[in-house]
Amino acid sequence: MARIVDIKETEERRILRDTAADYAAKVLAPEAEQLDKTWELPVLDSMNKAADLGVLQALVSEEAGGGGFDTYAFCVALEEMAVGSAGAAAALLIHNAAMVPAIHADGELQPLLDAKFPLSLACSGTLSISGGNVSGHVPWAFNAQAASLFILLISEGEGMVAAMVEAGAEGLAIKPHPYQMGLRAARVASLELNGAAPTAVVRGGESMLSECERFLHLGFAAISVGISRNGFAAAHAYARERYQGGDMIINHQALRIMMADMVSGIEMSRAMIASACEQGDLASAIACRIEATDRALRSATDAVQVHGGIGYMEDYGIERLMRDAAYCQIYPRTNEEYRLELLDLVEQQ
Amino acid sequence: MGRGRQMFGPVLSERGKRVMEDYPTLAALRQHDRRGIDRIIKVVEDCTEFNRRYAGPIALEVDERIGRDPDYFNWDVIKAGCQYRLLSIPIPEGVGGLASRYPVTTAVLALEELCSTCSGIGVVFGAHSLGVLPLLTSGAMAHWDTVLHEIVTEEKKGNPVIMAYAITEPSAGTDVEEPEFLAVGKIGMEAKRTKGGYVLNGRKCFISNGREAKYITLTAALDRNRPLETWTTFLIDRDMPGYSTPRVEIKMGQRATHATELLFEDVFVPDSHVLGYPGDGMSNGILMVMAASRSPIAAIATGIARGAYEHFLAWAHTTRNGHKPIEEERICMAAADMNAMMAQNRSLFVNAALAADSAFGKIFTSPLIKSTYLTPRPIRASKPVFSLLTSKYGKAFVNGVFRFFVSDEDMTYFLAMASMAKFASSDNAMRITSRALELMGADDSEHRRWVEKCFRDAKLTQIYEGTNQLNRLCLYASHISRELTVEVPHPFKAEVI
Repeated sequence: MARIVDIKETEERRILRDTAADYAAKVLAPEAEQLDKTWELPVLDSMNKAADLGVLQALVSEEAGGGGFDTYAFCVALEEMAVGSAGAAAALLIHNAAMVPAIHADGELQPLLDAKFPLSLACSGTLSISGGNVSGHVPWAFNAQAASLFILLISEGEGMVAAMVEAGAEGLAIKPHPYQMGLRAARVASLELNGAAPTAVVRGGESMLSECERFLHLGFAAISVGISRNGFAAAHAYARERYQGGDMIINHQALRIMMADMVSGIEMSRAMIASACEQGDLASAIACRIEATDRALRSATDAVQVHGGIGYMEDYGIERLMRDAAYCQIYPRTNEEYRLELLDLVEQQ
Repeated sequence: MGRGRQMFGPVLSERGKRVMEDYPTLAALRQHDRRGIDRIIKVVEDCTEFNRRYAGPIALEVDERIGRDPDYFNWDVIKAGCQYRLLSIPIPEGVGGLASRYPVTTAVLALEELCSTCSGIGVVFGAHSLGVLPLLTSGAMAHWDTVLHEIVTEEKKGNPVIMAYAITEPSAGTDVEEPEFLAVGKIGMEAKRTKGGYVLNGRKCFISNGREAKYITLTAALDRNRPLETWTTFLIDRDMPGYSTPRVEIKMGQRATHATELLFEDVFVPDSHVLGYPGDGMSNGILMVMAASRSPIAAIATGIARGAYEHFLAWAHTTRNGHKPIEEERICMAAADMNAMMAQNRSLFVNAALAADSAFGKIFTSPLIKSTYLTPRPIRASKPVFSLLTSKYGKAFVNGVFRFFVSDEDMTYFLAMASMAKFASSDNAMRITSRALELMGADDSEHRRWVEKCFRDAKLTQIYEGTNQLNRLCLYASHISRELTVEVPHPFKAEVI
C-alpha cells in the first residue's frame, strides 16, 4: 500500500519507524505464527533483540538507562511491531505500561530495570492492601504466564499504590487461562493473591492509574492500527491475484468498498493517536482507543471475508488478526465502559 | 395457548413451549397440523438431550484439542448422535428416515438447536445432510435404496455412515455457486468420458466431513472450457481407487468438523453414479441444493448466536466486582438487541424453510413415492430395478414426478428466500457474538470462553455456502431482477458432449 504519511514526522522518528518496521519484518513476522500457535509458553527470545531499539524501557529517560521515548514515538514503534506480530507488540506494551506508575510517581525504577522481560501488570479486579500485604483477585493479567515481576495497582485511601510482587512470592497463585483466543504471545492468567508481600512499593495519587490507562489506550490503539494495516495489505494483495466471477476480485465493488473502509480506518486511527499524544489528556486517549480498536476488528473481519475460505484457516495467518483485534477492545476495561467514562471526562472539563 | 386447547392432546414439554415461542409461525401451523409440527418438536427435543448429554460436556475440549492435533475427530459423539437419529433427518420417510412433510423446517430447527451448544459437532450433521441433498433433488431414487438405506440401517446399529458434498475447488470458490460466474470460472477438476462412465482428476478443497464421509456427492465439469454447460453431479464412494484425502485444515472455529482436501487421481465413476443428467449440475446439483441448504446455514448462524447470547446472559447475572452487569441499562438493552436480531433470523429462515417444504414435503409424502416404497425392498433394490432407475427412462420418470410438484419459478423463489436468510442471519450472528464478547470484557469466567468459541465459529457462516456477497447477488438475480431461473431438469435433455 502507499505509505501513509506521518504529518508530524521528524528525521529521528522516521529512523525509528524504519528500524521498528525492519525488526518487525525480519524478526517478528516469521515468528508470528509460532508465537500464536505454540501451546507451551511462548519463547520471547526474539524480544531480547528488540532491546537494541530501546523499546524494552522505552519511557525511562536516557539518563536512567532507558530509551527516552515520548508516548508518540513509542506508539510509532508499537504500530510497526504489531504489523509483524500483534501478540508480541502487546507483550511489549504491557511490559512498558508496568513501568508507567513508577515513572509517573518518580519512584524507584531499579527493580523494574533489573527484572527480566516481560513484566506483568494488573490494574483491574478486587485488590486491596493491608499491613503491607496484597490480597484479592485479578481476572485478567497479560504476560502473567511468563512474567518475573508483577506490578499491581491498588487503591489505598485517596491515593494509589503500585506494589511489585515477584512471580514466586508466597501467597500469589497464577492461574493460566485454559484457552486464550488472541494476542497469545502475551499469555493471560488470572491472579489470586492471598497476603502476598511486595518487594517494593511506589505510592502516588489517583493520576498514577489514569496515566497508566492512558498509556494502555494509546498503545492498544497503535497495535490496532498495526492489525488493520496487516489486514489491508494481505487483503489487497490477495484480491489482486484471486480470480473469481470473471475478473480479479479487486475489481468487485463490494470488496473495493470494504478495503477503502480499511484505509479510512487506518488514516483516522493514526490521526487520532497523533492528536491524543499531542493533547496528552485522558479523554482524547479514550476516544482514540475506542475508534481504533473497533475499526481494527472490523478491518480484520473484512480481511477474512476478502480471503474467503482461506482467510478462515489458521495456516494463512489472516484469522489471527481477527482474534487479536477482539482482544484489543477489552483491556483493561471494555470500550463501552470507556464510552461512559469519556462522557464523564467531557462533562468535567 | 389456552387451557381449553391443552385438553385435546398431549401437553408440550418445556422445550416444546420454548420452540413455539421462538417460532410463532409454527405455533400457528400447529393449530392445523398438530401431528406434523409435533414431529419437528420431537426432533428438537432429541437434539437438546443430545447436547446436554454428549456435545455440551466435550465441546470446549474437542475444540482445543483439534488446535493441537488437526487429525483428531471425535467419533464417539457422532455415534451417540445415532441414537437420536441425527443422520436420518434429511432422509425420506419412505426409506426409513425422518423427512416427511417438513423436511427443511425440521433440519433448520434441529441445526439451530445443535449449534447453540457446539456448531463444530452440529455441522458434522449439517454437512452430512448437505451431502444427502443432491440424491434427493436429482431424484436419484436408485441410490435411495442403496446409500440412504445403508445410512439408516447402520445408524440403527450405532455405526454412523456420513456423507459430504464437494463443490469448492482451490481455484473456484465463489465461481461454483452461481451460473454466471461458473461460465467464466477457471475450473481445475475434470471428468473425462470413458467407456461405461467417467474418469475424474483434480482437487476439491475445504470439504466439510471430507475425510469422514463414506459417500461424497460431487460436482465436476466434463469439459473445463465449458464448465457451466457440462457441470455434472457424481456420487463418489470412499473406496473408489485413486481417491484420497491428503490434508485437513485447522480452522479458526467449527473445528469438530474437518475441512478436508480431496484428491482424485484417475478415479473411475460408473454411469450409474451420475446423478441427474450430464450438464444439469448447476441447476440441479447446486442451485436446487442451495435452495434447500442455505436456510440451514442461517439456522447454524442463529444457533451460534444463541449460544453466545445465553452465555452472555448467564454471565450478566453473576456478580462481578460487587454488582451484576445485568443491573446496568446498557447490558439489558444489548440483550434486547441480540434477542431482536435472533427473532429476525428465525422469521427469515423458517419462512424460507416452510416455502421450500411446501414443495419438497409434497414430493416426499406424495402417494406415488409412498406407494413405490410399499413394494418389498428386495424388488426395489434388485438389479433390474436399479438399472431401470439409473437409465434415462428411469431418470425421466422420477424427474416427471419432481416437475409435477415443483416448477422452475417455485425453485427460483426458494433459492431467493434461502439466500436472503443466509446472509442476513450470518451477519446478525457476527454482530451478536462480537458484541457479547466486547461487553464481557477482560473476564476469566467459563462463559467468556464459550462466547469466544461462538465468535470464532460465527465467522464461517458468512463464508461457506457462497460468501455473503455472492448471496446478495443471488437474491438480486433470482428475485429482484429475475434474471436467474433455476431449471428443474428436463427429461431427455440433449447430450452435452
